[in-house]
Parts: sequence; structure tokens; C-alpha cells
Amino acid sequence: MIPTLAGIIIVTFILFNYVPNDPAAMKLGKNATARSKESFDLKRGLDKPAICGIWGKTRAYSDTDFKRNAGPWTRVEGVRWTTNGGSGRIVLPDGGSYAVPFAFQLATTNEFRIKARYRLSATPGSKGAASSIVVSNSSGIVRSVELEPADGFRDASVVFNSGTNPGSIVVSFAVEKGTLEIGQIGFGKKASHFFDSQLLFYLRQLARLDFGESLETNQRVVDMLKRGVLPSLSLTVPMFVAGLMVSIVMSLVCAYFRDTAVDRFFVVLSVLLMSVNYLVWIVLGQFFLGFQWRWFPVWGYESLRYLALPCIIGIVSGLGSDLRFYRTVMLDETYRDYVRTAFAKGVSKRGVLFGHILRNAMIPVVTNVIIAIPFLYTGSLLLESFFGIPGLGAMGVNALNSADFDVIRALVLVGSVIFMVANLATDICYALVDPRIRLK
Amino acid sequence: MAAGIESEPVETGVSPYRDVWRRLARSKLAVACMAVLVVFCAAAFIGEAIYWRYRILDVEMPSGTEWLRKGIAKALAAERVRGQAAPYQRQDIDRQYLKPGWNTVRSVDGSDGRVFYLMGTDNLGRSVALRLLEGARIAFQVGMITSFIAIPLGVLLGCIAGYFGGIVDDIIVWLYSTFHCIPSLLFALAIAMIVGQGLTGVYVGIGLTTWVGLCRLIRGEVMKHKERQYVLAARVLGVNDWEIMFRHILPNVFHIVIISFSLRFPAAIGSEVFMSFLGIGVQGEPSWGIMISNARMRLWYGVWWEMGFTTLAIFLVVLAFNLLGDKLRDALDPRLRTGEI
Repeated sequence: MIPTLAGIIIVTFILFNYVPNDPAAMKLGKNATARSKESFDLKRGLDKPAICGIWGKTRAYSDTDFKRNAGPWTRVEGVRWTTNGGSGRIVLPDGGSYAVPFAFQLATTNEFRIKARYRLSATPGSKGAASSIVVSNSSGIVRSVELEPADGFRDASVVFNSGTNPGSIVVSFAVEKGTLEIGQIGFGKKASHFFDSQLLFYLRQLARLDFGESLETNQRVVDMLKRGVLPSLSLTVPMFVAGLMVSIVMSLVCAYFRDTAVDRFFVVLSVLLMSVNYLVWIVLGQFFLGFQWRWFPVWGYESLRYLALPCIIGIVSGLGSDLRFYRTVMLDETYRDYVRTAFAKGVSKRGVLFGHILRNAMIPVVTNVIIAIPFLYTGSLLLESFFGIPGLGAMGVNALNSADFDVIRALVLVGSVIFMVANLATDICYALVDPRIRLK
Repeated sequence: MAAGIESEPVETGVSPYRDVWRRLARSKLAVACMAVLVVFCAAAFIGEAIYWRYRILDVEMPSGTEWLRKGIAKALAAERVRGQAAPYQRQDIDRQYLKPGWNTVRSVDGSDGRVFYLMGTDNLGRSVALRLLEGARIAFQVGMITSFIAIPLGVLLGCIAGYFGGIVDDIIVWLYSTFHCIPSLLFALAIAMIVGQGLTGVYVGIGLTTWVGLCRLIRGEVMKHKERQYVLAARVLGVNDWEIMFRHILPNVFHIVIISFSLRFPAAIGSEVFMSFLGIGVQGEPSWGIMISNARMRLWYGVWWEMGFTTLAIFLVVLAFNLLGDKLRDALDPRLRTGEI
């Protein structure tokens, strides 16, 4: 159970934190300001390293690789971008100081690191080259690192503290002599300790049972979940119970009339029902029962009447596979020895069916029932959004359409945990319905 | 082999698959299902050909494969339709909502003409029949590609877990019980959303969430077979583990893969319909889910043919797969009837 829980956490972490390239850009759009992306990141811990490490990132200056363009350096005067005789790089000409174009001012009293891959060479016609990375604030130079002239590219990095007045911090490449070419620049923000990472952030969130904040509605996801559970359950529980009753009764009818036309009719019916797409049930049900014949309200969540139609559609759409499953279960039991014995000692057909077969078929039935319970919680994605029931399913569909990561992550996570618990409950119920099984 | 041992001619038996084939061919229902599926596959291939005929000249090919493009373009006579919109995308507002069958259409010069549409037209005057054909293409792709992701994954992990046991088994069991716990539809949708890029996301989403059942079954079977005499004999002869696994055991459990394929194919089609209906997946291409999504609202105005024919197509294909899957399962391994795959 605990390994599985860990597995679920890892999978959701990988899926929602590791795989997406840039959730902020995905959600806010490519043209969002760096500052809004930064606040998105800060709220979700995305500025930290993924699993562990020292350097996280900040949107004040995102890592740039000058392969394709000059990035934010297009705004800096005097800087050229070139691919002449090599890969893409920016060229900082002789005799100037070029400040790193931050999108906004850095966070206070935090350590930052700038890392550059550079080549410093003498300008043709003159001798010698000298340049340095200079970090300065209002009171003067904080830190400075000399760059070395060489033929190939080299790496240099400067670590500095932004201090209490980060607005005055200027990080610049001062080129006193020669030409400075830069291939890539990395900029990192120091995490507070080695394990201060997205993973730890996520675990902490989970420990507090906090699933973050929806980006679409700006509400806490926990509150949204709490609000959505009731409408979801009010749809799925009656649907589930009624569906179970109908399919068990039908399967008993099949067992009663086995090898007759009645049984065959139900077999054909179940395959036909199974083959109709779920979507079609909903669209046609809503159209005919709700719109054309006006038996039920078409849309809304006001009284029990509004739940009837989605309920019926849900039952019908699930009936095919359920009927088939329970029929197999029941028929499997009818060929057992104890059934023959019961008949031999004169028990009536009905007595065998209800007294013997149904009771013995309880194990697969219980499994199937409990396994289905977690799905009651997430509700029905489509039914809810089609019929305007403000449950978790409709919430999930909205979140999918608006790429609301936190909401989907919470739904996936909670759904999995409930499923896991239900699995455990199945094992316990086995022991209850079947005295042959002992829990260890 | 040591000299002197006379090798006796082994009596050649009938291959189990040929036996299954004979049994299927005897059932009229199975033959009818196969016929439906053949039509479906043919539709998918024709749809594919039409799609590429109108696209091959514009598509960006990786360098060095120009010959391939030329070959395809020549085979499909793509030059003749250069610059035209594909027929299933061709819009004509004058032909909006034509009923299936013969219709009278007033053309630009004012004269009336008779046009025939097998399944009518949609709101932009596009032929429903052609769009259905393209939808078959996408449904087929989804079924195949997700199978190519899920089945190798399930088979490989299942074989390894069942064969090696121990800690490898523990890890794989842990992995699949984790995946099993996650609500699959939501998970597939989330993966598709995060991976993005239209259909690729759908393939990855469905593929990564549907290998668990197969993996579990294969693992169980391999564990059973591992103790059988023929495996012990192979091991004594010094055959290495991987060869035993994939050349000796796998053929003996391969019927599970076949059954699993026949069951997951319609399920994948259903999921794709669902996903593209929700707006995740194909954009701009006529997939069956998108067609239903578009046709849904028009149903309210009495345009039944778009919805009707799409529904019918999905129904027939899924029904054929379901029935054939049942027959296959009965023929290959009746024990699997209750087990979910």
C-alpha cells in the first residue's frame, strides 16, 4: 500500500512537473510577461530544481542559448547576433559595458549565479584583450571576474548576493579591449538547501492536503473538490446502485433460463449495448428523451428530476458490459458440483439460484462493486458536463480544456488514492464473504 | 548431436493457429465480422491514400527522403491535384445540409443540377461519406499505434517479471499496480493534454494507460510456463534466458496477445472518439469524435444523417471487433472468458 502510494506520487510528479516543458507558458500563453510567469512558478514551486540540486531558475533571466537568435539581448544596444563561422552567438564589441537584460528586478537577499560560455579575442588590428563580468549595485562593484582571452570557448561563472536593494543590481559584461562572443548564458537562483526542490514542495503540499490553487477560478483546489463531491455522488451513487441491481437481476434471469432463447437474447443484447459508443448514448438520450419527447429536463441541477435522465443514460451505457460480466459469473457457478448436489437433494430451482448460486457468486460481485467505487468519486466526465451537473467530472473536463494542471493533478491523485483504499477494502471483504480466506 | 543417434522423423502436427482459423471460418458470425473489419481496413487505407494524395506535395520531409515523396506522389497521382483542398475538406456553402441521396442544387449560373451524396453533407457542404472515410483512417491509426505502444510494453514487462521473479518482479508488479490505481481515462486525458501535439498525445495517453491488464496476464502465464518441462529442457541445453523467454515461452502465451489486441482495438477507438470529442487530439481532421461533436448540435435542427452514419460506423466496427474477439477467445483460450484483459 505504501509503495503504491509512493508510486502514485512519483507518477503524478513526473507527469505534471517533469514532462511539461514549461507549464507557465502552456497555461499563460507564449506572450505572457515574465513577471506573471514568475508568480506562476513561485506559487507552484517550479522555480526550484526538479528533485535536488543547488540552482533553480528565475524568470528575470531565463537560460539562453544563442543558437537561433539573440533572445533578450536584442534589446541591448551594440550587441549583434551572428552565426558566421560557427554556431549562433552574440557578439559584444570592443569598449563597452553590456548589462544583462533582466525582465524584472531580482528577489532580495538571494544568491544568484550567472554562467557564460564565452570566447574573448583581440579585435583585428589591435593587440590584447581584456574583459570581465561585473556585478555592481548602488554602492559600487560587488563582484567581478576576469575573462580569459583564448581561441576556443570557455566557461565562467559569478555567484553574487542580490542584497537588500536588488533594484540597483546590475550584472554586466564589461569589454575593455577586444571582442567578446557569448554562446550561452545560464542564470540560476539558489535554492535554500540541497533538497529544496519541486519534489519536496509537492510532498509538503500533499502532507498539508493542499492541492494548490486553480489557475482558472483562483480557488483552492481542495475547496473545489469538496464542493464537487456531492453533486458527483448524487449522480453516480443512484446510477451505480440501480445499474448493479438491474444487471444482477438480468444475469440471474440468464442463469435461470440458461441455454434458452431468453438467455441468448440477453447475450445478444449485451453485445449490442456494449458496442454503442458512450457518447452516442448521451447525445441521443439527451436529444430524444430530453428534447424531442420532453420527458426530462435537458440541462441543469436543481432537483431530483434533473438527475433522472443522466442516471438512466449512465445505467444503459454500462449495462452491456455489466450484464455480460455478471452472467459469466453466475453461469460459472451453475456448473459447480454443489449446484448439482443441491438439485439432487431436491432443492427447487429458485432455491438453488438465490440460496446457493447468488451467495457463492458474491466474491466476484463484491470485487467488481468495490473496484467501481473510486469511479463514483470522479463522477462521469461527460454526463456531468452534458447535463450541467457541477460535479468533479464537469470540473475535470473544464480543467482539461483550460490546461488547469493543479486541478487535474488533484483529481488524478485523489482518484488513485481512493482506488488504492478500495483495493484494500476488497481484500477485507473477501475475508468477510468467504470464510475460506484468512487475512494474514 | 552425438553420432550414432538415429533421429526419428517427427510427425508434423497442425498449427494451433490454423486450427483456430478453421474454427472461426466455420462460424458464419465470425466470417461476417471479419468481412466488416476488412471493409473497415480498406476504408482506412483508402482514406490514408486520399489524405496523402492531397498532402504529400506540401509536407516537409526529412532530408534524404525526397525519393520517397516522389514515389508516393507518383503512385497517388498527386501532381494532378496540386494546390487543391482535400475532397473531405472541400467547402461549398450552397450544398449545405443536403440529404443523403439525390439533391437538386442551383449552381452559380442559375441552372439546376442534380448531385448525389451517399450520406448527405454537413454544415459547410462537405461530404459526410468522405469524412467518415477519413475518420476510419484515424480510428484505424489509433487502434494500431496505441497497440504498438501498449502491447510490446505489456509483453516485455510481463515476460521479464514472470520469468526472472525476485526483485525484478517486485518492481514491475509495483509499477503496474501503481498504474492500475490511477483512473485510466483521466490519466490518459492528462497525458494527452501534457504531451499535446494533437494525435501524438492521444496515442501516448491511451498507449501508456492500457498495458497493465496484458502485462499482468502475461506475467501469470509466464510464471506457470517457467516450470514446464520444455523450459527446463531448454535451460539444461544451455539456451540463454532471453531466448527461452521470447522463443520458447512467448509463442506459447501469444494467444493472450491476440485476444488482448482484439479487445483493446475497439476500446481504443472508443477512447479516441471520447478524447477528440473533448477537444484533445485531432484538430482540423475529420475524426469520428469530432464528427459526433459537430453533428450533435445539428441534430436539434433535424440534420440526422451526419450523426446517424457516424454512429452507425462506430457501432459496426466496434460490434464486429467485440463479436470476433469473443469468438477468438473461445477458440484460443476459453479460460480467459471471465478475466478482464
